[in-house]
Amino acid sequence: MDYYRRISPFILPHLKDRALTLKRYPNGVDEEYFYEKRCPSNRPAWIKTARITRDEGEQMTVCLVNDLDTLIWVENLASLELHVPLAKAAFPETPDSMVFDLDPGDSADVLDCARVALILRDLLLELRLASYVKTSGRKGLHVYVPLNRRDATFEDTKKFSKSVSEVLQRNYPDLVTVKMAKELRTRKVFINWSQNDHSKTMICVYSLRAQDKPTVSFPLSWEELEDSASRRDSGRFDILHSEALRRVEKEGNLFQEVLVKKQKLPYL
Amino acid sequence: MKGTRSAPLPSKLSANRGKDTAEQGIWSGTVSFSLVAIPVRLVRAVEPDRVSFRMLHSRDYSPLLRRMVCPEEEKIVPAEEIIRGYEITPGKYLLITDEELESVSPERSRTIEIIEFIDMKDVDSIYYDHPYYLVPLKGGEKSYSLLAEVMRRADKAGLAKFVLGEREYLVAVKSTGSALSLITLHYCDEILGDEDIVPEEARIEPEETSRMKRIIKGMISDFNPDKYADKRREKILTLLKKKARETAPVEAPEVEEEEGEGPADLIAMLQKSMRKVKKNR
Repeated sequence: MDYYRRISPFILPHLKDRALTLKRYPNGVDEEYFYEKRCPSNRPAWIKTARITRDEGEQMTVCLVNDLDTLIWVENLASLELHVPLAKAAFPETPDSMVFDLDPGDSADVLDCARVALILRDLLLELRLASYVKTSGRKGLHVYVPLNRRDATFEDTKKFSKSVSEVLQRNYPDLVTVKMAKELRTRKVFINWSQNDHSKTMICVYSLRAQDKPTVSFPLSWEELEDSASRRDSGRFDILHSEALRRVEKEGNLFQEVLVKKQKLPYL
Repeated sequence: MKGTRSAPLPSKLSANRGKDTAEQGIWSGTVSFSLVAIPVRLVRAVEPDRVSFRMLHSRDYSPLLRRMVCPEEEKIVPAEEIIRGYEITPGKYLLITDEELESVSPERSRTIEIIEFIDMKDVDSIYYDHPYYLVPLKGGEKSYSLLAEVMRRADKAGLAKFVLGEREYLVAVKSTGSALSLITLHYCDEILGDEDIVPEEARIEPEETSRMKRIIKGMISDFNPDKYADKRREKILTLLKKKARETAPVEAPEVEEEEGEGPADLIAMLQKSMRKVKKNR
């Protein structure tokens, strides 16, 4: 429980004003879990909430984690993992970032993801787009392209990320796939561009992951990722909460730019 | 939807139907009474046995969608324009907001609180609504088995109130074999009366009663549900298996979302940039 208190200065800016999805493990991480988007109705009065409309037209109250007290309260609900959408609750159709969710298929690993991430970074740089990478806290990597523009739409980020993913697949057919089907992912990295949707959520940067090892979804500098990839050191992608706390003191918020950098997607 | 494989059906047509869905919990919490608290998960106990079909467009085999259509405008109504009304007389509605509905919905809870133990024989099957199993969670195994065993021997069931989804249900927690099961019960005012059904009392001769008794006695047997099966379902499955062997399935057209390329300009630019990247690597 102490982890979130100590990481709060770093994680709170990334949770702020976003509809929180709780992944709850009421009986511990070995037991079953469920996702809860609704803010529990027995919440204390001081919890900030927002009303959002679901696809079926149904209204729903969601929690906003804007301060330390709320973060601690959320933790006490036995909610280890904090998932948030790419848009803020007040502007649910305006993504602040475009994301590429890199997920290794069977017999592929995080080093394959790192290769794809580096190619992706270079391709985006050619298009004058800066990107930022974090571990998923499991086996994958998440590459974020900050937009932070009021005119951004999920339609655009979807179209753009899909085109980029297809071009990567076409050029690296043995490494990259955009096919969701499990059997087509073997030995390849699946680029899930469809996360760029108002109904989807991503694990928040600095969030814990619920599994045996207390890993964290942690931001990496491209230099570190390049270094780990060239040494083929997959262990360096597993960042435990103790290491995360040590590193943020030194490195600061490596995902800061994701919140502020303004970029426009070209050729749309 | 890829349809070129020769036998796409076997996994769907195999016997262990519903195995994985049964594992998924609908709710978890505790069954409690007095000082006892048993951590449990609620899972479905039955799965409708129907073979379901998709509706397709006969011309191109596209799977069809259901949409809300306004008969006035003959247009699809988007979700944000859909609201709720309660019809008081034909064509007249009271509008009800989500907030108003939420304000009368019960608080969700994590407990199934047993109020009293009753004789299951007293509950007419007309009250039975929907059955579930309760599965013990870690640490609850012993008290779970104990409660199941004691209730089974005494033929008692625990009557409880339980909030699932938006509704509060009256439920009976009982034993089924060595497991605990839960059955939601209809509320009294949901049950239709039998006044119009029972005929006026007619005079019955004692020999008529004893003849009826004899007939029934002659037909008495143990309840063996596995003697009976849905014949139509079996026939449909046999038919589908035969079809899967003999004919190729029709294929739905690719949905544009899935396979359509991005805008040509963008793809061309990306491809050009990709070539540069490859050269520099």
